[in-house]
Amino acid sequence: MAIDHHWLLPEGIDELPPPRAAELEGLRRRLLDMYEGWGYDLILPPFLEYMEALLVSGGDDLALRTFKVTDLITGRTLGVRADITPQAARIDAHKLNREAPARLCYCGTVLHTQPENPAASRAPLQVGAELYGHDGIESELEILDLLVRTLDLCGVEEYYLDLGHVGIFRNLSRQAGLDEQGEQALFEALQRKATSEIQEIVAELKLSPEHGAMFVALAELSGDDALERAEQLLSGAGDEVLTALGELRQVAQGLKERFPAIAPHFDLAELRGYHYHTGIVFAGFVPELGQEVMRGGRYNEYGRSFGRARPAVGFSGDLRTLFRIGKRGDIGTKPAIFAPWPEEKALVDQVAQLRGEGRRVIFALPGQSGDAREQGCGEELRKEAGEWKILPLS
Amino acid sequence: MKFETSLKIALSKGRIFKDTLPLLARLGIEPVDDPEKSRKLILDTNLEQVKFVMIRATDVPTYVQWGAADIGVAGKDVLVEHGGEGLYQPLDLRIARCRLMVAGPAGASLQGDRLRIATKYVKAARAHFAAKGQQVEIIKLYGSMELAPLVGLSDLIVDLVESGNTLKANGLEPLEHIDDISSRLIFNKAAWKMKHADITRFLAAMREAVEG
Repeated sequence: MAIDHHWLLPEGIDELPPPRAAELEGLRRRLLDMYEGWGYDLILPPFLEYMEALLVSGGDDLALRTFKVTDLITGRTLGVRADITPQAARIDAHKLNREAPARLCYCGTVLHTQPENPAASRAPLQVGAELYGHDGIESELEILDLLVRTLDLCGVEEYYLDLGHVGIFRNLSRQAGLDEQGEQALFEALQRKATSEIQEIVAELKLSPEHGAMFVALAELSGDDALERAEQLLSGAGDEVLTALGELRQVAQGLKERFPAIAPHFDLAELRGYHYHTGIVFAGFVPELGQEVMRGGRYNEYGRSFGRARPAVGFSGDLRTLFRIGKRGDIGTKPAIFAPWPEEKALVDQVAQLRGEGRRVIFALPGQSGDAREQGCGEELRKEAGEWKILPLS
Repeated sequence: MKFETSLKIALSKGRIFKDTLPLLARLGIEPVDDPEKSRKLILDTNLEQVKFVMIRATDVPTYVQWGAADIGVAGKDVLVEHGGEGLYQPLDLRIARCRLMVAGPAGASLQGDRLRIATKYVKAARAHFAAKGQQVEIIKLYGSMELAPLVGLSDLIVDLVESGNTLKANGLEPLEHIDDISSRLIFNKAAWKMKHADITRFLAAMREAVEG
């Protein structure tokens, strides 16, 4: 097949021309500066790793989403990272090996073989923060606080926070004595809130009426008042489930104190990242997208395969998406200055000084086509009365 | 019924639209235009907040997944092929019922090495034969599956069967049951969270309309 349109980019692969690229870079720097101010250390994990290191959690989804190549040096399979979180966990568990809490942040491109949803990018710019070494709702609150501030800094004005807890379903599954297959079937039906399917599965697995009723109830436990209803419907579910509900309540209360305008939505059937999350999970939704733009949660067992299970909680999102949907005001940069090609030292020195002050100065190339305006300049350096001055374009 | 927020409901022309209307009417939602006569794709209803989006049946899950509609009505056949990612499917409306079946020439064998199966329902067909431990070749078609065995394109077909009359008219007969099909009420995930009060009331009223 002849390839005529060789300028076409692969599906789901995007690029940013000027000035969008510079705007995105500005946003990336402001975000990383904010994380820096919160004590989050920047990491730069590699783009390629051995597959075993990337697929810690055993989730099939991540394996399918990862591009693979054969390493011609070792013959082993390398994967292009589809998620930076496992890399951050590896760095915390293996490389840093601290006892004190570790706070890590990152921003980098990941690749997906399949887009996560139709027309999503296959090369998201994943930005996120992870907090290791503390098991308590204070860490959840710090991470959620940072997530909210990330959305604010990106200019996302209207969003909803969704809170859930994977421990509730996991504990109920254990109590009901579900095998892996039964748990997976119920998990999938719960993700779709398909009540009639849940009833069918419950009947098929011959679960006790109490357990059956609780699985059906989970599908309906969403909304602002879900916790109150959960405390009634799951009252017989045992201490661990009640502890989980208590954690959710505390986190919601803490969020409300920090951000009175945010009313989190609860959804106890929302089990995103069920295979590696161990506690509270959360996501940020925006009205115009119909999809989540940020997600995160607690994952305490993740580091185990790198030698050390550490309590961990974090969030991440695609910076390209946040950049696209955010409404940020003009940052107010000064216009660029057009300067003639420097034939004298005075001009060279002045341009160097201006650039040192952070101004953008563009030299006219002798015989070039196009004028100052076409070069995106708003001012120019002109010699008046023997001195080089910055003047409005003539 | 009154809603605080706007609700877009994705429906497809034909049987699903016809069978959904009586349910919506019990909630006091009625279309202003007749979709069979109007060329408009977004139909007004008697409620200012509620609009119908008229699209092809196979596109309903995609529109709802993307949030172009908050709610939709889609057949289980379509949902299985779509995968149902990013959708909630809390209610079986028990309308537009039929069966997904393997069919073929009268007396055709279901056994055989690498049977060729013509179908619009690729995922469901593959999963069905794989569950039986049978490897088959799937031939994706977009319509008139009944023709495929007659002209030697395939050995069998997988298709929706309502009365069985179309099969019969073409000398075919249903051979094996795969799944019972009916239409589900589906919801966009974000709308579920952001318009939760309205969505919950809508769902409860629809559940009552279905069961009552």
